[in-house]
Amino acid sequence: MNADQVRAHIDPIRHEYAEARSLILPALKFAQTEKGHLTREDLEAVGEATGFSAAYVESVASFYDRLYLAPTGARVVSVCVTLSCMLRGADEVWDHLCEREGVSHHGGTSEDGRITIQEAQCLGYCDRAPCIQADAEETKGPFTPGSAAAFVDALRAAPDPHEFWR
Amino acid sequence: MADYAPVDLAADNLVTFELNGRTVSAPAGTMLVDAAYAAGVEIPIFCYEPRLGPPIGACRMCLVEIEGMRGLQTACSTPVTEDMVVRTNSPMAKDAQDGVLEMLLAQHPLDCPVCDKGGECPLQDRTFKFGPGKSRFIEPKRHFPKPIELSSRIALDRERCISCFRCVRFSQDVAQDGQLTMQERGARSEITTFTGDAYEARFSGNITDICPVGALTSIPYRFVARPWDITNTPSVCGSCPVGCNTELTTRDGELKRITGRDTPNVAVEEGWLCDKGRWGYDIAMSPNRLSAPVVREAVGDRTVSIEDGVAAAASLLTGRRVGILLGGAVTLEEAGIALDLATNGTLDNAVVARLGVASGNCAPVRAATGAQLGDIDAADLVVIVGGDPAAQQPIVELRVRKARRFGARVIGCGARPHALESLGDFTRTAPGHLADGMMGLADAISNAARPVVLWDEADLASDPGAIAALTALLAASPHATQLMLGADVNGVGLSALGVSTTGLFEAIAADEVDAVICVHADPLEAAGSIAWQAVFDGFRGPVIAIATYASAMTERADLVLPALTMWEQEGTLVSMTHRAQRLRPGAAGPAQAAAGWELLIAIAHHLGHPPAYRTAASAFTHTVASHPAFFGMTTDLIGTDGVVIGAWPADDVSPAAIVADPDHLVLVATRDTFGDDMTARSHALRTAVSAPVLRMHPATAQALWLNEHDHAVLISDVGSSSALPVLCDARVAEGLIVGPLGAPGSPIEGALSRNQHQAIVRVERT
Repeated sequence: MNADQVRAHIDPIRHEYAEARSLILPALKFAQTEKGHLTREDLEAVGEATGFSAAYVESVASFYDRLYLAPTGARVVSVCVTLSCMLRGADEVWDHLCEREGVSHHGGTSEDGRITIQEAQCLGYCDRAPCIQADAEETKGPFTPGSAAAFVDALRAAPDPHEFWR
Repeated sequence: MADYAPVDLAADNLVTFELNGRTVSAPAGTMLVDAAYAAGVEIPIFCYEPRLGPPIGACRMCLVEIEGMRGLQTACSTPVTEDMVVRTNSPMAKDAQDGVLEMLLAQHPLDCPVCDKGGECPLQDRTFKFGPGKSRFIEPKRHFPKPIELSSRIALDRERCISCFRCVRFSQDVAQDGQLTMQERGARSEITTFTGDAYEARFSGNITDICPVGALTSIPYRFVARPWDITNTPSVCGSCPVGCNTELTTRDGELKRITGRDTPNVAVEEGWLCDKGRWGYDIAMSPNRLSAPVVREAVGDRTVSIEDGVAAAASLLTGRRVGILLGGAVTLEEAGIALDLATNGTLDNAVVARLGVASGNCAPVRAATGAQLGDIDAADLVVIVGGDPAAQQPIVELRVRKARRFGARVIGCGARPHALESLGDFTRTAPGHLADGMMGLADAISNAARPVVLWDEADLASDPGAIAALTALLAASPHATQLMLGADVNGVGLSALGVSTTGLFEAIAADEVDAVICVHADPLEAAGSIAWQAVFDGFRGPVIAIATYASAMTERADLVLPALTMWEQEGTLVSMTHRAQRLRPGAAGPAQAAAGWELLIAIAHHLGHPPAYRTAASAFTHTVASHPAFFGMTTDLIGTDGVVIGAWPADDVSPAAIVADPDHLVLVATRDTFGDDMTARSHALRTAVSAPVLRMHPATAQALWLNEHDHAVLISDVGSSSALPVLCDARVAEGLIVGPLGAPGSPIEGALSRNQHQAIVRVERT
């Protein structure tokens, strides 16, 4: 993504941000929609468009879990592991998905490159615990290990999203 | 380092407050840490560093109890107020200090026995002084692959980092290179650059000085010495005319490290050094260092002892009319002895001259109230007239950036584009037309309360209109002060001693000299090198080179006497701000070499005229006694901080005016600190070297049928340059060519006139 594309996205929302550096976040989220993660060029483009150094932009990106500085799978599956979900069986869901996708118990990307599994802290769906969110779509729940696996299989089979909003 | 800011206890806005039961005072608004330190109470700190800007309270080490305030307060970010009651040693404050240190040490490896910082480490010192003495942390600590190279000169041990942000603030706020950041969060936080690129910046070494732990260390000094092995000597840097105050670290007679001083000289460099001043000393060990005298005879070169070398020099000089040529970095002592030998009958009526920019015509500007670099901080307007300070006088860049941070406006004009132009409004002027640019600055200067005008010696000397305009501007603005951006390391000192830039060349050409001594001077590599080459080609007498490094002149000379470097000898240098400062030796140098002043004294002894002085200090006393600029000055008075010298009668030597017009191209030479011969020979600076190029506007290149990267030579009335690649830069004025002065092989010096950094040239493609 280039700086002009980033500018075209943030210029209409510039007035909503009191501080110029606050624009870095929406700019990064938008820059990420192209490839699903941020490359060196994306960070430089965001730096140019927002007026901050690429190094500073990278430091911001590195702080957030949902901004990826390395390639991910086509779909990112966030499994909530915070208290309510944990009490309702999130650990079992997590372990089952990790085992099925062949990734370590810290999460990771499946061998076919289709799915990335990651832990999430509270997604605010405690009433539907244990819950799962695919990319930035609406969070769903409750899940059992089996229904979670079916959910991931459906994601794997579906065509890739046009833009990677995460 | 300079952890606490100096406090002016004589100020008139003092407030009185209670500190640990004592009644003390400090100016209102002083941060509590500084006020307490001035009152003799050390509040421990890590992230606080007054030179980095406003406090950020990141490390929490300075927590103190203040009556009436809830909880504990960070003393680094709390200004003192009247009747405040502060306790730094109460049980609550003590508990906080213990807690914070235990927290900082929880993830710290405690590998002090193998850490370069051990023994001079603020974390270690303050843990001993304020810490709990015991840790309850038994869990595994974090580990990183160690160390990583932040650059080829700086190593980063990430697990030692306490996330104080000092280095990040230096990079972002002081040097403003924008490269260092803190990435990730929590226990995974780490200092890094954009995608892990090397931290290549001209002031990068300062982060190793300000790191309060062993996370950032200098690679050339890694595992080289321990604090109890070393001695530190306060000295001054002679790499450029700024004269930064340095500290030389010596182990077993060898120079191992150069750092800023623990107590920085706020009038000069404020503790910051450029990477060249910090790491360039390894050229003293480079292969072209001269280590023994060489007598050049018809049958070949003969290496002799230093005693035989001096005796040979004396016999070459006996009965001959002598000329002495001094380089721009020669010390006051060396110049003073040369002048003394020329007048006291030792070398009868010897002609003494110096290499460097002739700027006697700038005397009217110099006569206006002078400023020190430290005065730039408090300016509300910084005016830069000509020059390229960021390249030629590096530390000036940090001062101007600091003034800008404090809200000063930065304006200026000049022919060359430079790094400080992004800080304000600059107008591009054609060479010889600086006065046009200054017209636009007059209103701003007269409306400012504390304007400081930085002017470039070499640019003004070639532009009489600019001298007149600037003199008038300064005369019309009673508050304005001026500061010269000098061209030669000791140019001010030599000119204050009355050493002229002319006389010797003419004397050699007219056959009025039978022998020449070059003291740290190489006319064959200096401006006007082709003209110098011509007179030396026709010169049949002996040439003696007192020099440190092999160069064109030491190849040509009949006798070479190896001299000591600025890190190995005593001496006095006068900076571009007229500040006399002392060099003190931090290394021994080769056994068969001696300081230039010692060699000159020894030659005088051999000539049967023992001078009245034996040491550098007595030579200094003898030298300054007869020169009005130095009246009353002693080495003791200069001390470690230096003294500003007085006025002196200007010589009347002025270079020719170089005025751009549509039919002529003008070459303006810039001595890029990181593009010169010295940097090119330094191993430590190998990744910092900037390549020599001819910079010109794309339209100028197009008019000359040149493409970028084509090679071209410059031809002037007096000679020509070597071929150099062309670099197009739209910021350069049209019709102007910016060339590299002092680059390896002296490519452009041949096209310049002697003692001038500008020339009218034509360009030929090669």
